[in-house]
Amino acid sequence: MIKRIKKRNLETTTKSMEKNHSENSGLNKSLDDNISLFKNIFKNDETLIIRGFQNKRLQSAQCCIFYLDGMVNAEIINENIIQPVLSNDLSENIESNNLLEELKKKVIVSNNVTLETEVNKMVSSIINGDTLFLLEGYDKALIISSKGGETRPITEPTSSRIIRGPREGFTESIMLNLSLVRRKIKNPEFKVKFKEIGERTHTKTCICYIEGLALEGILNELELRLDKIEIDGIIDSGYIQELIKDAPYSPFETIGSSERPDVIAAKLLEGRIALFVDGSPFVLTVPYLVVENFQSNEDYYNNYIFSSMNRLIRGFTAVTSITIPAIFLSLVTYHQEMLPTPLLLSISSSRQGVPFPTVVSLFIMLFIFDMLREAGTRMPSSVGQAVNIVGTLVLGQAAVEARLVSAPVIIVTALTGIMTLINMNFISATIIFRTFLLIGASFLGIYGFLMCIIILYLHLMSIRSFGVPYMMNVTRAKDHDGQDAWIRAPWWAMTLRPKIIAANDLVRQSSRLGKEK
Amino acid sequence: MKKTRIPLLALMILIISTVTTGCWNYREVDKMSIVAGVAVDKGQKDKFQITVEIIQVSAGKDTNMTSKTITMEGKTMFDAARNIISISGKRLYWSHAKVIILSKEIASQGVTEVIEWYNRDSETREDVRILISKGTSAKEVFAGQGSTDDIKSFVLEEMIKNQVSLSKAPMMDILKFNIESKTQGISTIIPTVNLLKKDGKMYPQIMGTAIIKNDKLVGFLDGEETKDLTFIRDEVKGGVLIEEMQANDVHTLVSLEIFKNKTKVTPVSDDQDIEINLNIDTTVAIDEINSSETIFNEEGRRELEESAENTLKERIESLIKKIQSEYNADIFGFGAKLRENDAQVWNDVGNNWDEVFKDLKVNVQTAVHIKNSAMLSKSSKEGD
Repeated sequence: MIKRIKKRNLETTTKSMEKNHSENSGLNKSLDDNISLFKNIFKNDETLIIRGFQNKRLQSAQCCIFYLDGMVNAEIINENIIQPVLSNDLSENIESNNLLEELKKKVIVSNNVTLETEVNKMVSSIINGDTLFLLEGYDKALIISSKGGETRPITEPTSSRIIRGPREGFTESIMLNLSLVRRKIKNPEFKVKFKEIGERTHTKTCICYIEGLALEGILNELELRLDKIEIDGIIDSGYIQELIKDAPYSPFETIGSSERPDVIAAKLLEGRIALFVDGSPFVLTVPYLVVENFQSNEDYYNNYIFSSMNRLIRGFTAVTSITIPAIFLSLVTYHQEMLPTPLLLSISSSRQGVPFPTVVSLFIMLFIFDMLREAGTRMPSSVGQAVNIVGTLVLGQAAVEARLVSAPVIIVTALTGIMTLINMNFISATIIFRTFLLIGASFLGIYGFLMCIIILYLHLMSIRSFGVPYMMNVTRAKDHDGQDAWIRAPWWAMTLRPKIIAANDLVRQSSRLGKEK
Repeated sequence: MKKTRIPLLALMILIISTVTTGCWNYREVDKMSIVAGVAVDKGQKDKFQITVEIIQVSAGKDTNMTSKTITMEGKTMFDAARNIISISGKRLYWSHAKVIILSKEIASQGVTEVIEWYNRDSETREDVRILISKGTSAKEVFAGQGSTDDIKSFVLEEMIKNQVSLSKAPMMDILKFNIESKTQGISTIIPTVNLLKKDGKMYPQIMGTAIIKNDKLVGFLDGEETKDLTFIRDEVKGGVLIEEMQANDVHTLVSLEIFKNKTKVTPVSDDQDIEINLNIDTTVAIDEINSSETIFNEEGRRELEESAENTLKERIESLIKKIQSEYNADIFGFGAKLRENDAQVWNDVGNNWDEVFKDLKVNVQTAVHIKNSAMLSKSSKEGD
């Protein structure tokens, strides 16, 4: 047996760690052998700390702990493992084959201690930040929970700011994130299912839903799609988002993501399913509909009239940010008769002596705006001033004064840019379809523009997110369908949850529902 | 097979629908000359001499808009319009033209042949206002001084709007002209433009009406007559009625502002006798009294109303008489109303409506209601 393990160890020095511990099925009774086994597995990994010690009275109680530096809470190891084992008055008359069990039961102070025999699991728990406890003369080990390590504190997300509402945001730690949502939904029906994805990274992901609200079909579909993922690593939830989304070639997102626990809790309460990914502060939600692009968590906390107005602004600007350049182009270059005479004259005067055709200058200016936007996102904040000055003064004012582009083109570009920035979670689709419409309008005027609009509309209508029509509630305002789409109905009127998604239990406020009818 | 059929079908629809659309063309605004207005005169060599007013936009920090006129002759309107390009260099853009001015001479020959091209072409519009220049040639109107704007056509359009609201000129654009000239039993009218000499400068003035009978210009009405005409045609948009009062040997002038007017034309026919009942119901307000006489009691108001009713009745009756005797053109649309109300009678008399109209009996009923006396409740001089 010893020979076999030694031989194996020699072999595995050249093999990957993965293969190594999958082939080892058991430990040896010799502590030294076991130590060298783990030393081999974690060869060249100098963060592995091996600490041997023994009880002050019982000589035979020779122990050794393994952990990865930085992954554990050193205080737990010092005070709850080493200290009790060292100083405990272990009597000699403990049956020698029962010592490990005794230590687990009476000595080690920890909330989570398990007896383990498989080397695979021992290795993975060391990696996860637990401490492995070996004892001379036993081929079993204790895994003592000692997870630690630094995590980012809970801060307000910077991706989307709000004025009213909870300010906490998710962090990179999945357990902390789960607890943030759990604190909002105190109900045993809140279900949590873990799953590891990534052949090399073993990234912990977790499906959350509320039993009785979430649809079985969507849940099964999500699990099926997650099972099909074969990838070596998941660094951010964006990987999974793109790997499992419907309409994979479309620029429209069919899986939502949010950095805010209150948003995730609210979506769970609507029957949606959340997917947490370790290491990513962005939690995914399915199904994701087009109206969710225009919903902000603040809508639900503010006065409903104000919220509805804001939501209409978002919806309107989403449409206009795609269409305005194309409409401008077709009016100015194809359908001058549709412009009021004074407007035509002022456009005509600003065009005098401008070298490029309107369509070319529009493309150039929109491209420049996107360059400025990208620079603004990526640059260090200390050089922000420079980009601002270049963007506004040099490109805007100087270009018009030098008659390189006409002033209306600059105005249209600026207007489009601002409206694009209002809907940041829409931005990829906006830029792509804006260009598409602009090309259509430059060839055929309003006619080409409308053809492209029809294509865009057909595309949107054809998308489904986990079986739910992507455009649901956008085109219908009857009954309860429109209450949370273009507008946000007052809370006392939102008696039903969104249909299809929460088909299991549609009624949110049953007493009010009765009154309404 | 089925997989390729749908994209192929979509492609076919796309290509067909692209190719079979009407004319479209990519053109930049600075590459064309925007026509503000057009004047049509009788040509010396060819039939038509047209003058277009083109807007000239100068580049610079402040946009400066001036206009220039180009005159060219042609055998047809379109011929002349195309000939202009040889001088202007740029293509003319007609969609934003505001006025079309016809000279007296060309209108006497016939109006429809002038505006037929305007009706037919895709770029020209039907909401362009028609004017007939009374005293001068049409092209001279553009040479007159504008009081506010540099582009005369825009000034003229603004003037038409204001004059129509004062009932001093009728509203007439190409669309309405087409409708009226194709309707049986009504003769068309067109507002007239004049050049008024003042301080050595010529100012265009829009006032009065040209009477078009059977597509030809037959005569003119002045501004006051035009106001009476709009009463009969029920096109009153506003304006002032001036009423003379003779009380206690004091001669008083009262200005009445017209607020609302409703005219009802009812043809009454029995056997061969056709009569027209004209009911005019006007609401006015006192806007000016230049005497110390108080008329603000119930009696005085009633008196003023009655007096205004009589004056209005007299004026309208005399206008109808004048039109019947001098021009015999049914510019009031009595025939059209008869045709609307009683098609059978119209079928009998329609063919010689001119004869019938000449001796048509019109019963005029007027009612004037004074609504208020504006911001003052008493005469200004009272209590002195």
